[in-house]
Amino acid sequence: MVPTQEITKVRIKFSKVGDLMYISHLDLARTMQRIILRSELDIWYSEGFNPQPKMVFAQPLPTGVESVCELLDIKLNSYMDCEEIKERLNRNFPREMRVLDVYTPEEKIKEIAFTEYKISLYSDKIGENTQEDVEKLFTGECLLEKKTKSGVKEINVSDYIKEISAKADGNELTLIVILHSSAEKTLSPEILVEAMRKYLGIMTSDGIDEHYSIMRERMLKSDLSEFR
Amino acid sequence: MQKNISTILKSVSKPARYTGGEFGQIIKDKEKIKTRIAFCFPDTYEIGMSNLGMKILYGALNELDYVWCERCFAPWPDMEEKMRKNGIGLFTLESKDEIKDFDIMAISMQYELCYTTAINMIDLSGLNVWASERDESDPIILGGGPCAYNAEPVAEFFDIFSIGEGEEALVELAELYTKMKQDGTYTKSAFLREASHLEGFYVPSLYDVEYNEDGTISKFEPKYDDVPKKVVKRIVNDLNTSYFPLKPVMPYIETVHDRIMLETFRGCIRGCRFCQAGMVYRPVREKSAEVLNAQAQAIYKNTGYNEISLTSLSISDYSCLHEATDLLLDWTDKKKINLSLPSLRADSFTRELMRKISGVRSSGLTFAPEAGTQRLRDAINKNLYEKDLLNAVHLAFEGGKSQVKLYFMNGLPTETYEDIEGISTLASLVVDEYYKTEGRPRRPVSVTVSVSCFVPKPHTPFQWEGQDSLESLRDKQIFLAEKITDHKIRYNWHEAKVSRLEAVFSKGNRRLSKAIYEAQRRGMRFDAWDEYFSYENWLDVFDSVGIDMDFYATRKMGYDEILPWDVIDIGVSKSFLISENKKAYESVTTPNCKEKCSGCGANKLGKELTWCPHRK
Repeated sequence: MVPTQEITKVRIKFSKVGDLMYISHLDLARTMQRIILRSELDIWYSEGFNPQPKMVFAQPLPTGVESVCELLDIKLNSYMDCEEIKERLNRNFPREMRVLDVYTPEEKIKEIAFTEYKISLYSDKIGENTQEDVEKLFTGECLLEKKTKSGVKEINVSDYIKEISAKADGNELTLIVILHSSAEKTLSPEILVEAMRKYLGIMTSDGIDEHYSIMRERMLKSDLSEFR
Repeated sequence: MQKNISTILKSVSKPARYTGGEFGQIIKDKEKIKTRIAFCFPDTYEIGMSNLGMKILYGALNELDYVWCERCFAPWPDMEEKMRKNGIGLFTLESKDEIKDFDIMAISMQYELCYTTAINMIDLSGLNVWASERDESDPIILGGGPCAYNAEPVAEFFDIFSIGEGEEALVELAELYTKMKQDGTYTKSAFLREASHLEGFYVPSLYDVEYNEDGTISKFEPKYDDVPKKVVKRIVNDLNTSYFPLKPVMPYIETVHDRIMLETFRGCIRGCRFCQAGMVYRPVREKSAEVLNAQAQAIYKNTGYNEISLTSLSISDYSCLHEATDLLLDWTDKKKINLSLPSLRADSFTRELMRKISGVRSSGLTFAPEAGTQRLRDAINKNLYEKDLLNAVHLAFEGGKSQVKLYFMNGLPTETYEDIEGISTLASLVVDEYYKTEGRPRRPVSVTVSVSCFVPKPHTPFQWEGQDSLESLRDKQIFLAEKITDHKIRYNWHEAKVSRLEAVFSKGNRRLSKAIYEAQRRGMRFDAWDEYFSYENWLDVFDSVGIDMDFYATRKMGYDEILPWDVIDIGVSKSFLISENKKAYESVTTPNCKEKCSGCGANKLGKELTWCPHRK
């Protein structure tokens, strides 16, 4: 028997794909609050003058990136079955967001050490040698300016890459990359596209002849096992 | 198409303006649709998605199973540049299909400064902006919204206008279009002719306009006997049974009004003589408190919004306000939903109302005395006394507010420098009232005086008036700045040049289309945005097409002159407007509709008279 009047913590794993990549983290947070309210989940509010439903996202998703592994923790004032939560949320999610799983969390968010992304690029400048060029670029020294809170600093992109594999097929290039993703050391996958733009000259046009997409695939712990 | 624009979207500001996909958007199966309508708003997504009219019409049209109504907003110039460069025509958010392939392109004309943006949307769709140059296969271009009450400056770009409230009228128009397409009787001209027989539709190409040598109109008549001499505006009779959207589209990005907007009533009992809304939305029709509350509950369930705003032209005149707020607060408090009541009138602000909105987090309230002296307030028929205002702010201060915003206008007919000084005096009295109020907050008071410039509007008692010259308006603004010395009073004023352009278009005729076309051609758009408005460019445009702005903005018109908007009948009679205009010069007020019927004529529009408030 589960106690009914105890605050329970649940973790929601969801996808955010398609045009929803253009929705910023801040806009997502507001959207999520409304989704939870219309799903009539008995969410726990913060105390104070302006009480807000308490929501903790595992890792903010950069604008322009899709994901199939977003994690959100919420607290409920009373117990509700995970399947029921999932069903209610999915009914109230927009088309391009789906709840994949709802469960009681056992692992702590700070255990996330890496994030795996799939970067797919299309350009007529991608050819036979691109695969090799990319591997060389991201295993050697790849200097790039990165904007941080304290200003612009130069970084070596390769330092942030745990593992990378590239595969070119005609004008298409697919990268599977595992990036550092902890509080101390983290990198946005957009930086890799920027590096390719700077050093390999692809994705330089502002027209519709070149395009790329980035998908966040998995969140990993320090031993590269999947975070749950 | 969607795939192709993805690269572009990554390089423009706020890409979510163009992607749609929100919860509540309506997707239909194209194969089952007979008539496709693109509802276009000539401003940004954030502005357009805040418009209640658009929400109502989008929902009402999509109730028809054979119609699919989709949304489109004006792309910001960075997006427009990329679209033009890559040959992408204007498209809707829902299907991403190009608007040139739709049946009807409906453009909401909310304010005069959107004219260039509206015309640009037609151009960006790949269509000819001139109605007479478009052919049979092009969509019907329909205009509507407040600017349709004098559509003449844009009349040559549109095929047809919806005059008045659209939720029933547009459904009838879509029915007629679909029927004529189905039975094979459709040609563009046959359809427009037929549509001109529907109530509330104006087809500009079916009227001849001729001018005198001095530029005034000599003749404005229908070309054919079956076309109405005057187009009577449409109204919805019963707000309790008429369509209201209970499942609005939920924007992801923050819009201007990102909350539940509950319409409480239409029309206004007051009759301020400068106010177009107060005349064109007559007669007053109210929604019952029960219906309002039920709609609020349904919308909350469907949206998850945590704020409800009760909309109207003057919320404290809503006769079921207390009943409605009691019903609402009963459940909104528990769910931590904020209730806000914009458009409060100072003379009907009570302690009870103050208590009810005290949960709202804002520390300020706004009132609109409009003029600084009783004489001028009487001339504009504001019917507000100094003691009412001071009483209202007293209650607000007592209730914990420390910020008051006061709205005024410069350049009103009969205004003198004494009236302008009165603005400063009134603001000082409000400051004094704060420090006299026991139980006021401990913070210092902040009074903001916001002064706009009077723009004469069609269908108002001041429609014949000329606007003050730019020089005079500037002198008045400087004079007031010198009079306001108390640092607790903040003084804002509107750019007179913007109001000037508004006056030109408000009172414009068909000849202005040349100027609007020229401006669009030169790349001018988003005139309502500071970063794009250029008065100098407009002077240049008017100069190049040989149009004198003064003729429209500052010239006083005669009572017997044929006005460009005389073809539209808003229900209120011209003789009433003339009598109101005369009373302004004698500073004589007219009682509000609840006190006494003054016979404006608007009640002829209804099937029954019961909703004129004084008859209850």
